[in-house]
Amino acid sequence: MTGFTSTLSAIPWAPDPVSLLEHLADQSAKEGRFGLQDANLILAEAVRELRLDQDFDVGGGMAPMLAAWSDLVEKYRSDCRQATKAIIDYLRRPELKIPLAEDEFSDLELQLCAHADAEIRPLPAVTGPEFSEYLSPVAQEIIALLLLQCQRIRSSLRDIAKDENGSVRGGLRQAEEDLERFFNAANTAGLTGLAQICAHVTANVGRLLEQSDSLTDAHLELLLGWLDQAQAYLPACNEADAGQLLVAGLADPQWPLPMPFEAVAEILRKIRSEGATVINDPAPVRPETAAEADVSLDLPSDVNPELLDLLLQELPLHTQQFSEAVQHLQAGGGEDDVNIAQRAAHTLKGSANTVGVKGIAVLTHHLEDILIACAREQKLPGRALGNALINAADCLEGMSEALLGLGAPPPDAKAVLQAILDWANRIDQDGLPASSGEEPLAEASTVSADPAAVIDKTETQSAAVRVAAGQIEKLFRLSGESIILNGQAQESARRLRRQAQTMRMQFTMLRQLGEELERLIDLKDLTGRAAVAADAGFDALEMDQYNELHTVSRRMAEAALDAREIGQDIDQELDQLGAVLEDQQLYAVDAQETIMQTRLAPVALIAPRLQRGLRQTCRLTGKACDLILTGENLLIDGDLLNTLVDPLLHIIRNAVDHGIENAEDRAVSGKPSTGQLAIDFVQEGHTLLLRCRDDGRGLDHAAIRAAAEKRGILAPGQPLAEAELQRLILRPNFSTRTVTTQTSGRGVGMDAVYARIVALGGTMALASETGRGMTIELRVPLPLSLTHALLVNVGRFRVAIAGKGIAQIHHRGDCERIVEEHEDRIVLGGKSYPATRLDRLLHIPEQRTQARPHGAVLLVEYEEKATAVLVDSIIDTMDVVIKGMGTYIGKIPGFIGATILGDGAVTAVLDLPELLRAPVRPIEAVALASIVREEADSVLPTILVVDDSLSQRRALEQLLVDAGYKVRAARDGIEAVELLPQVNPQLVLTDLEMPRMNGIELTAHIRNQPGQTRLPVIMITSRTTQKHRQMAEEAGIDAYLAKPVRDDDLLDKIMNLLPENT
Amino acid sequence: MKTEFIPVDDSNALASARQPTGVHPALPSAQEKCVFGIRIGAIGFLVSPSIYCEVLDKTPVNPLPNTAPWLSGLVNLRGNLVPVFDLHVVLSEEVVNPKNRRLFVLGRGDDAAAVWIDGLPVIKSSGLFQTETDLSALPIIQRRFVMGGYEQDGQIWFNINFEDLFKALGHQHVLGDSLA
Repeated sequence: MTGFTSTLSAIPWAPDPVSLLEHLADQSAKEGRFGLQDANLILAEAVRELRLDQDFDVGGGMAPMLAAWSDLVEKYRSDCRQATKAIIDYLRRPELKIPLAEDEFSDLELQLCAHADAEIRPLPAVTGPEFSEYLSPVAQEIIALLLLQCQRIRSSLRDIAKDENGSVRGGLRQAEEDLERFFNAANTAGLTGLAQICAHVTANVGRLLEQSDSLTDAHLELLLGWLDQAQAYLPACNEADAGQLLVAGLADPQWPLPMPFEAVAEILRKIRSEGATVINDPAPVRPETAAEADVSLDLPSDVNPELLDLLLQELPLHTQQFSEAVQHLQAGGGEDDVNIAQRAAHTLKGSANTVGVKGIAVLTHHLEDILIACAREQKLPGRALGNALINAADCLEGMSEALLGLGAPPPDAKAVLQAILDWANRIDQDGLPASSGEEPLAEASTVSADPAAVIDKTETQSAAVRVAAGQIEKLFRLSGESIILNGQAQESARRLRRQAQTMRMQFTMLRQLGEELERLIDLKDLTGRAAVAADAGFDALEMDQYNELHTVSRRMAEAALDAREIGQDIDQELDQLGAVLEDQQLYAVDAQETIMQTRLAPVALIAPRLQRGLRQTCRLTGKACDLILTGENLLIDGDLLNTLVDPLLHIIRNAVDHGIENAEDRAVSGKPSTGQLAIDFVQEGHTLLLRCRDDGRGLDHAAIRAAAEKRGILAPGQPLAEAELQRLILRPNFSTRTVTTQTSGRGVGMDAVYARIVALGGTMALASETGRGMTIELRVPLPLSLTHALLVNVGRFRVAIAGKGIAQIHHRGDCERIVEEHEDRIVLGGKSYPATRLDRLLHIPEQRTQARPHGAVLLVEYEEKATAVLVDSIIDTMDVVIKGMGTYIGKIPGFIGATILGDGAVTAVLDLPELLRAPVRPIEAVALASIVREEADSVLPTILVVDDSLSQRRALEQLLVDAGYKVRAARDGIEAVELLPQVNPQLVLTDLEMPRMNGIELTAHIRNQPGQTRLPVIMITSRTTQKHRQMAEEAGIDAYLAKPVRDDDLLDKIMNLLPENT
Repeated sequence: MKTEFIPVDDSNALASARQPTGVHPALPSAQEKCVFGIRIGAIGFLVSPSIYCEVLDKTPVNPLPNTAPWLSGLVNLRGNLVPVFDLHVVLSEEVVNPKNRRLFVLGRGDDAAAVWIDGLPVIKSSGLFQTETDLSALPIIQRRFVMGGYEQDGQIWFNINFEDLFKALGHQHVLGDSLA
């Protein structure tokens, strides 16, 4: 080989010593000197590390050392054996700080020596570079290893002394072992054609081993010749006809097992196809810009359902794991947290790639790279990188929830990915940044999340099966129907029993009649018996004389007796039927309770969402606050839990924005710099109690009064109790803020919470202490599916009263009615209770023509009070299945639901404590016109979102609803045009490119409609060219925003464009 | 309880079977071959054949105490509780012959709702409809939910958004005295 130069000055294009050494390594590899290649690479790495050591003079100290190295390399080329030791001694120099262990130095020495022993044949002349220029560095490395293996096999064969059988067998055995390793390596590299040939050659060596006495020079020549071909093939394995070299000669009849031509052709075809695809895969280049497709959560059309189920099961766990680890890092965690986060990211990446969820796969891929860099460089992320990781963790959790159907895709996913990409690219180029300008990086310490605890969480997860929510609902409904039918069957059995009893009575009567008839017949007989008896020769007293009447009457009596026995049998059967039905009902109730359990979810499930909401609000307001949740292990209905998330998020936002002071004010008040917000979940019987406490400034009563007076709710100076003043904040659109922000000020927070809780049949209580904080107590009834109820008559209605709250039931005779201070009261057991009538509670007109006492009195306990409720009469008591009244009937105060009775009739199921706690007004007060005015009363601005992308629509909808707007959505311009007159929005958010009618056409249409010419239109699009912008402006849009759009920017723009009175 | 099923055009039968249970999709359009027409008093309403519907005759309606006058009560329809709305009250239409009233159920399962209709539904061929009527003269309650009107042989038939109407009628709030 000519042209090999190794002095610094001879290679003007490689002034850098690292580049020089890498070049020397490449040259060595081309020559097949793989030991020398490794030595050059080791030295290059050492030089790279030394550069980072500021104390080491790279220019002054390194140059003479490198000059000496290049001399050694030259010497090695001429005399490998002598130079090998010198090379090893050189690399052992302490100033190089090469971290190789002794056995590693020994291996390197062996490698260097192995080349010295091998006879190097000049490679066939090739045009162009030795390694195909299309082979990536990774591919070259694989091939270098295979070439090294070829050298080893050659060495084994060349050591064979043909005259010595022992040497022959030993050499062939060694060659066979080396060929097997070569086979495995070729398979691992994906070169299955080469591996197939290698297996064929191995088989030939095996045959030669069996017939070791007949090994000839020709056999050795064939084997060594094949090795030459392999060495020629490997560096150019992806080129068009490289495989021909490899298969040439395999069909030579001198082989113990020559390869058939068909097999040769087949292998050649395989080699050609592999070479173009397998190794020639360049290392992926990290993109610099995030694309919309990179954050897509769309599932492939051929997604494997089982894999998807597995992913959906694992997602919450691993995203939470990742989130906790990065939060620990931000709070001063250590290396273990980096490892935990990297493992979680790796797992998520793998799972997402398997299923095909690109958004998660791409984000976790780059996150993993960043964390690997942290681990490799043994550095912890600084504040800026830590914040980016936390944002990414939040984004991953949002994506997880979107895939689980619990929320919209995170709208800032692309921005988050862009930030991570920026970090990853920066780390690729410059490594992890130093901590200049930031808080000092935490030393890699032992202060970290307990990995064992995290691992325990994963290991204790029991086997689970995902079942569609619809299936559970269906099972629930079927079990409910089963209970209802069982009830109907029991009712039928009761009626049958009553009929059987009636029948028995009839049979008894029949028997009595029969006996009576017998007596009459006997009597009649006696009077006519003497004439008959004299003729027969017997006296009437000696022989009974029978006629047909006797027979019939006797038969009738017997029939009545038989019927009575049958009746007794029927009774027994009915008893058994009753027992079976009771057992069946027990099983049905058990089944329903078991199904009910599947709907239960721990409160901990929503904890990450609440924490995320707190973090977002803290970021927006610049305040610090901790959220402490208790009762996380409480199991409650999953639907109810999801319904409570929004109200709790509202409460959290309000607490942080209005209640928690900033750090300076808190310091002045002597409070810790970080605010405290605690949410306790407690179950009290059939009620869920949520207590939300903050340690902020409490309600500003003066500001509330001022706002109320300004709105005309209160007259100036009008006295109002503090509790009533506090409840003013629950009114729609009530706010003490004069300036709206994204967090609050629009007055839609607490009234929305109140409305949601009331809709659930719950209550909300406020308690505020100025300067110390506020407590909000929500009481929400837990969903009931089955309850014991009293069936009562009230007026013309028959209703079921749930047993909830009913402490005692009394007959009217047990109580005394009195009037005390114009209030009806009942005296029971010496105690007096306020009394009311059920028909008055329900505003049912009095049906009685004359007053008479009610039939029963129910003593109802609620909120530490007790009230006596008078009902007309109690018909029955039973277990009832509570059913909903359909999608269209909203929550009716005082009603839990309705039920189907045994006779198929439907009756309402009442909640007496709720009726007593929040009395309802008579329905006549609600006029039909109020339905039309309903929407007019609400002054929440309505925004029409127009976008053909479902995920984009949902994301915008979620953002705007959370910000307090009413939102309607349309899929394209045509649908938007149809919706405009109905919805009458205050603003339109539209995409540009949509089917049927694009955003520009829609805007032009709006501008041509009378009454809508001033309707604000914002366009959000990925088209950023001036041409598109101009077209949109000419059509009449008010704002043109290019994606990705920050939430804050969009909300600011909307606020600026909305008319002032909205 | 007697149930009468309205025969549908065969070409829509499969589409009807596949429709979701709610009443929201597919308001009648000019492209549809036929639509159902129901009468509430003197007013006619159109119902798309793509909506699952049935007629109930002599089905007991169970009233609920202290509810709006337009909510007649609930019926037990094969184990599902279906609210019954009396649109005669909403539209201030007279009930001409109470014995001729039947229940017309739209939708299935939890998304079902029933209205009282006079007589039986009829099948209208939408191709015969001619002009749209001016809706501005309608009472406000109709204007809010009516999507359009068609005239045929002197009879006006309205296209109505039943889903929104039922939601509005069913979600009337009765406030407690605690928040006056």
